[in-house]
Amino acid sequence: MSDFFSTDWSAMTTTDWTGLIILLVIAGLMTAAYFTILKPANRNKFEQYRDFVNHEDDMELDREDKHGHA
Amino acid sequence: MSERIPDEQEYNFTVVKWFSIAAVLYLIVGALVGDFIAWELAFPELNLDNPYISFGRLRPLHTNAVIFAFGGSTLMATSYYIVQRTCHVSLWSNKLAWFTFWGWNAIIVGAVVSFPLGLTQGKEYAELIWPIDVLIAVVWLTYMFNFVMTIVNRRVSHIYVANWFFLSMMVMITILHVVNSLAVPVTLTHSYSIYSGVHDAMIQWWWGHNAVGFFLTAGFLGIMYYFVPKQANRPVFSYRLSVLHFWALSFGYVWLGAHHLQYTALPDWTGSLGAAVSMAMIIPSWGGAINGVMTLSGAWNKLRDDYVLRFLVVSLAFYAMSTFEGPVMSIKTVNALSHYTDWTIGHVHSGALGWVAMVSIGAIYHMVTKLWGKDIYSVSLVNTHFWIHTIGTIIYICAMWVSGIMQGLMWRATDDYGNLVYTFAETVSAMHPYYVLRSVGGFLVLLGAILMLYNIVKTISGARQPATAAVAAKA
Repeated sequence: MSDFFSTDWSAMTTTDWTGLIILLVIAGLMTAAYFTILKPANRNKFEQYRDFVNHEDDMELDREDKHGHA
Repeated sequence: MSERIPDEQEYNFTVVKWFSIAAVLYLIVGALVGDFIAWELAFPELNLDNPYISFGRLRPLHTNAVIFAFGGSTLMATSYYIVQRTCHVSLWSNKLAWFTFWGWNAIIVGAVVSFPLGLTQGKEYAELIWPIDVLIAVVWLTYMFNFVMTIVNRRVSHIYVANWFFLSMMVMITILHVVNSLAVPVTLTHSYSIYSGVHDAMIQWWWGHNAVGFFLTAGFLGIMYYFVPKQANRPVFSYRLSVLHFWALSFGYVWLGAHHLQYTALPDWTGSLGAAVSMAMIIPSWGGAINGVMTLSGAWNKLRDDYVLRFLVVSLAFYAMSTFEGPVMSIKTVNALSHYTDWTIGHVHSGALGWVAMVSIGAIYHMVTKLWGKDIYSVSLVNTHFWIHTIGTIIYICAMWVSGIMQGLMWRATDDYGNLVYTFAETVSAMHPYYVLRSVGGFLVLLGAILMLYNIVKTISGARQPATAAVAAKA
């Protein structure tokens, strides 16, 4: 098991490091995305758009919550 | 926000109409070529010893016709339609929109001419020769620029999730197409890829899988997130889930390409990474499929008589099925059996015929009635189309599953002495009945597409519905 998880860090090439850093950054961003989207306090911020397409012909969208106006 | 929402007439829906009609025509062309080469595989003498209609030349014509001609026209029709309606603004530039229409069709004509002549770069789903590749880049960037500028000029603050999916497709396809197509031209029709060996394979499948992931998935999810709630007249089950679906898909999909290259010269860990991320992608994919299906929560009765909605919802069932099957096939143990067999063809077509075609057909039926302001000519023909298409798709994919698994098992079968039990010719012969079945399934899909064109032409031409006409005649 220890062999499986061991890494020869000195053998890492520039490409290896680039890939590893990108992977970690994306993993971090994904975690932040999950946290932000699923945070209960943000529920209405997202869910207010559930029926967006069925109200596209009226002015209901004027009253958007926490998103300001264009 | 005090600005007035434009009337329907102020949107540019003419270009949407043209793309919609083109999509239906290309569905017929793509299915026709596909079914012909399916029959050729069952009965090779059908190529009539004519190189121009041989399998090797028509196969890329089929894939390009269904993916880029039918799929591309559908995506451009729906994205131009959705971005205007959800942003409450007409297209930023009508001239650029028409440039994309004629440019995209010029590319398709280029494919129709070049493939039968045997002009190809030999890269799967990127076969077109370099001058056409350049034109694709120009037209695609124009399309993206017009779409982005339309969003920039929107009259509501929110950018609906469907537009995010379209944007994701546009950005990623630009990068993928340009990088994969980098080549050194030597004549007007020939070029050499700047990649070679294992790098070429890696880049090719980075493109190949993401053509599926972003062109055939992200773009069509944009279609789903608009047309399912619209046709059902129900709110999306969970908007949070749709946002999560978008980000997880956008971050995750680009890592999968190497799972196409298990047991090759590629480093072993790249295939393992591709398979691991493939498995992880089941979560957002199924989350999206459930989100779409559960949008009907409280309105399941609509499925009883709304055949357009049936197309849309059944497409989601196929989406869920193929996004489970793909990751399973990427696992090395399963891949050892499935790779290079017809199982892969069955998997691709459960996604193409089940997911992409059905969600497109549902969206086009919906748009036709809205764009021309008329009821569909014959609801019973839509119903017939639904069942013909569904049965044809099931026959096709079941035939390929059985054929593919049998093929893989026959290839690996050995006797007590370690000798192969079957010759290659025997495996080919054993697949014959399934090739015939596959061709029958494809024919049903083609027949359904022809019915769709007839129904749409009659709708547009303003013919009265058969039932209404009959009642009027009696009166």
